[in-house]
Amino acid sequence: MKRRRMNQVPLFSSAGELANMLVTSNLIEAAWAKIPELQRGQSALPSSVQTMVDHPTPNSTIVVFAPSPDSTQYPHPQGGDLVPYPDFDFLGTKECPSVSINRAALTLFESLKNHLSGLKTELNKKEGQLIITGHSLGGSIASLFTLYLLNSMGKERKCRPICITFGSPLIGNFGLQHSHWNSFFLHLVSDKDPLPTLFLPSGRSAPTSSHSQATAYKPFGTYLLCSELGCACFDDPDLILKVLTVAASEVAGGLLQVVDYGEVLRNLKNRAICKGPQLAGERFAYPFSDGIVMELKTIGIDAAKHNIDTTRMEAEARTLAKKTKASDAKELNDIKKYMVMLEWYKKKSNEANKCYYDCFKNGDFQRDVRIEEFMGQLTTYWEDMVAQAERKPQEEGASFRTAWFQSATTFRRMVEPLDIAIFYRDGGRDYINNGRSPLYKLLEKLYEEAAKKPTREGPDSKNKVSVLLTDDSCFWAHVEDAILSCQSLNHANSTPEQRESSWKNMVEFGEYVTKQIENFSVSPEIFLEQSSFMKWWRMYEASIDASGNFYTSPLVNFMKSHKYDDYGLPEEA
Amino acid sequence: MGETVGNLIGLNDEVIHSVATLAVEAHNSPSKQFLVKKIKIRHDLSSVVVLAFSGSMLPEDWFGQPPFGETEIDTGKFPSLTSLNDGGDAVVNGSFLRRFNDVLDKLSHAKELKAAIEKKKQVVFAGYSSGGPIAILATLYFLENQTLSPRCLTFGSPLVGDRIFGHALRREGWSDYFTHFVMKYDIIPRIMLSPSSTEHKQILNYFKSKFDKKNINPAPPSGFYLTVMGKASSVASYEACHLMGCRNPSLDIIKSFIELSPYRPSGTYIFCTGNGNLVVVKNPNAVLQILIHCAELGESNTAEVEKRSLDEHSAYLSELKKICSDGSPATATLNDLGLSPQAMRCLQAAEEFENRRLRNLENIGKYMKKIEVELKELRKYKENAQIRRVGYYDSFKLQNENDDFRANVSRLELAGIWDEIKEMLKEFELPDDFEKKREIIDLGTEYRRLVEPLDIANFYRHSKDKETGAYVIGGGPRPKRYRFIQRWLEHREKKPFGSRSESLFWADVEQLGIDIKKKGYLQEIKERIQQVERNLIAWIGDRSLDDDVLLENSTFVKWWRDLPPQHKPESDRIKKLIGE
Repeated sequence: MKRRRMNQVPLFSSAGELANMLVTSNLIEAAWAKIPELQRGQSALPSSVQTMVDHPTPNSTIVVFAPSPDSTQYPHPQGGDLVPYPDFDFLGTKECPSVSINRAALTLFESLKNHLSGLKTELNKKEGQLIITGHSLGGSIASLFTLYLLNSMGKERKCRPICITFGSPLIGNFGLQHSHWNSFFLHLVSDKDPLPTLFLPSGRSAPTSSHSQATAYKPFGTYLLCSELGCACFDDPDLILKVLTVAASEVAGGLLQVVDYGEVLRNLKNRAICKGPQLAGERFAYPFSDGIVMELKTIGIDAAKHNIDTTRMEAEARTLAKKTKASDAKELNDIKKYMVMLEWYKKKSNEANKCYYDCFKNGDFQRDVRIEEFMGQLTTYWEDMVAQAERKPQEEGASFRTAWFQSATTFRRMVEPLDIAIFYRDGGRDYINNGRSPLYKLLEKLYEEAAKKPTREGPDSKNKVSVLLTDDSCFWAHVEDAILSCQSLNHANSTPEQRESSWKNMVEFGEYVTKQIENFSVSPEIFLEQSSFMKWWRMYEASIDASGNFYTSPLVNFMKSHKYDDYGLPEEA
Repeated sequence: MGETVGNLIGLNDEVIHSVATLAVEAHNSPSKQFLVKKIKIRHDLSSVVVLAFSGSMLPEDWFGQPPFGETEIDTGKFPSLTSLNDGGDAVVNGSFLRRFNDVLDKLSHAKELKAAIEKKKQVVFAGYSSGGPIAILATLYFLENQTLSPRCLTFGSPLVGDRIFGHALRREGWSDYFTHFVMKYDIIPRIMLSPSSTEHKQILNYFKSKFDKKNINPAPPSGFYLTVMGKASSVASYEACHLMGCRNPSLDIIKSFIELSPYRPSGTYIFCTGNGNLVVVKNPNAVLQILIHCAELGESNTAEVEKRSLDEHSAYLSELKKICSDGSPATATLNDLGLSPQAMRCLQAAEEFENRRLRNLENIGKYMKKIEVELKELRKYKENAQIRRVGYYDSFKLQNENDDFRANVSRLELAGIWDEIKEMLKEFELPDDFEKKREIIDLGTEYRRLVEPLDIANFYRHSKDKETGAYVIGGGPRPKRYRFIQRWLEHREKKPFGSRSESLFWADVEQLGIDIKKKGYLQEIKERIQQVERNLIAWIGDRSLDDDVLLENSTFVKWWRDLPPQHKPESDRIKKLIGE
């Protein structure tokens, strides 16, 4: 099946190396050590999960959750269904807008809410390292509490958190792969431990429980999967789910046994400095897929038998590997370059006494072909940015957008008029309802949301108008529609109703333009002799004059008295 | 392969063995800081002068402040041991540096060394065990001073410096001067990869009593191997993750929770298998992986390997005797190290990482042509502006002409390329000697002098100083690509950081104009004016700044003319330059 990939750069899977780094460090051991300690102590809470806070060093905090020693270690398999939990909708993404949580974990979390809320306030003040850890259902609470805490901390986190769970069941339907939060979760799972797979279809859940619901569980964070022979770290949710399911089917028949993760860690630590099993051959022809197969074998999974698709993972890794800080730097400068090209196009058009909108619509310059190429590049870039934001949980997506929405607004104001030009050139009508792309709609929505919030920068003085782009990126669509209305007004065959409606449109458009002018939010270029706007005005003026009813409005006055000659010029000092 | 060890490292086999003997002898003569010996080479009657350093097994001579006892190197003594991008200065073990400083005075006055320098004899600095780090630092010291090109041979030496240390060595082309012999299981070359611990003290105490010869057979410590090698293995796994391009988002978070040793190997490593064979490795990433993986536990039990890890530290002389005496080729293959498939995969990744850096370099080669084309365009732009009697700086700031627009596109095109290079350097994605390559520095310098004024013009044209502050402030709005490129030139010319800022001339002028309006002629402003005047005279003089800044209507000339005469200390000379 394997094709020789001659020209491809070899990729590697580092699941084993990352796992090795973890087990040879003290991090996980230190977290685990607290769990038996907590269980030996007095039960402070009337709950099946106990918790404590400790400070191993002045600059570090550890929060521990563990099942009460007197409670049964295992939640009832019937608690495996998912319950919608709007309190956690801040984790929602476009793909999964409403969040559901495992019933058993949620019930427990809700019953501890008072205590946890106080703990949250306390931890919000902490600096330095913060480890939140838990075993079995305690681990589920640790995960939920970490999410709850991360949400309350916002962007200005004082401390560095990490959540480490041991043998905890999956807790919800939400994924975090596109969120920065994903990196804070580390889940240790032994292949001997039936608990993590308790709610999966092939696990111990009662056959009556709904399959579709059970498979809606999504793992998040990094899983450190261990067996007697070794360990490997994976963060691919599909692979993790697959491995857990396979493990579930293999443990299912066995007895419920409590896994001592302390023992698991001790074994892995010894293994870390041992030579692994010998294989034939010195080099790996396909270091990525061969590596994953080897790593899966270490944790007791036969990749071929269980149909594990390493090709997809390799393709994804390849895409990721292409995106580096260096390629980002290049891309950013390219985007700037395209915008400069367009700015220049606008400037050249204005020098020829035309709007860049009209020049482009009429194909006045030879350069126009490349303009479409730049538009395409810019549009792809911004579509990608928007898509990235949509894959993130709401809050995070919002702050990601804040970082770039200014540039996105400039892009919309510069490029949308060109898309409008293409639309009307090709005979379109009513761009706003028939032609506008979701990208522009979304960018405008973002802009309006941001504009509601008070910012330090108001609209600058009118001196700056001359360099500005028109604020409303749909301005030209309004102009085009007004021209069409005007034509219908003047058309001999129009019915009185049509004329009346067209007249109404004219008046509305006039009011709209007046408002734009008053706010200095249109670029002065629209008053250039050959612009579509001036074309409309001349038609409109003719029909007012022809009707002989001496209609007047602020715009009519503004235009008739040539006040626009001074529009946007610096005020006299 | 199939070479003698001497051929491999460019020294006579006989010499190597004699050097090792002296190194061991010096290590055990703590009363003398170093021993000197002239070794005659039989076949060509030449001789080499060997200086071998004494050692110490006192824990405080190994680890200062726990956990790793590292300190930033003194760049006064070692000006090259720094990163030329944002990586900071090299970090070395503080105790070893202190011991080197203690010996330096005596060393610089050693008459044997002076004589060797005078007679241009080959000098070898050598050290066994904790004498090794002193030999390494001494070699570097003399390489920095360019008084001689010494060789450095160490035997079972602990690690001395961090990643930047090794990077700087390779950048300067000094890596080949260093050869380190390491026995397959010897614990000492690995010890610095784990944090200081009671196990370390046990190991050092054991060797101390062994070397002191007060106790011929001290009881070896036990149970340390798992702790020491486990932590060391953490470092190797972390580096392997990087080599393999690990994209797991938790990697950085995890790293911030664990203590990883900063020390990394540098120079050429010769791994001795224990049966007279050896493996020569120069790739520093591969060396680190081999250091850890070849000492992994295999069939034999932990106690056995643990004992070997102590015994082999004393086995260098007998091993070298096997290797050097018969003059037979030292067959060297990785197979002799008995590495596991996991280890082989790490080595493959280390090799691939090197390949990637070479591929990146090759791609940059293609960029170079593009850069040259753009620079040619911009030079033409500059000339054309000069013909119109408005320097290109002012023309660009006005953005009225077609040419100005084209120059702006070129500016962005070039910024994209150099920013990409800058990011690659920060991630060590280019060969270590990239920033030393003459053609790169020359091209970069031309780019900086020609194009940075355009960035400055763009900056002040849009009054960006109001948002971000002045163009030139540390870590401020000045694009880092220019800072890096300037540093390369300063490093090549051995000039202090910030001394080659001729491309910032316009930023100084613009900012002064703004500040004078804001603050008037404060003392600080007067000093800055004087500095601008002097810089102008010096830079026009050495042609690092073009005289188009002196054109009749340039921003500079207009600004300077408007200054009150009492604030123009260099008035006469500048008038002459302008041609008044």
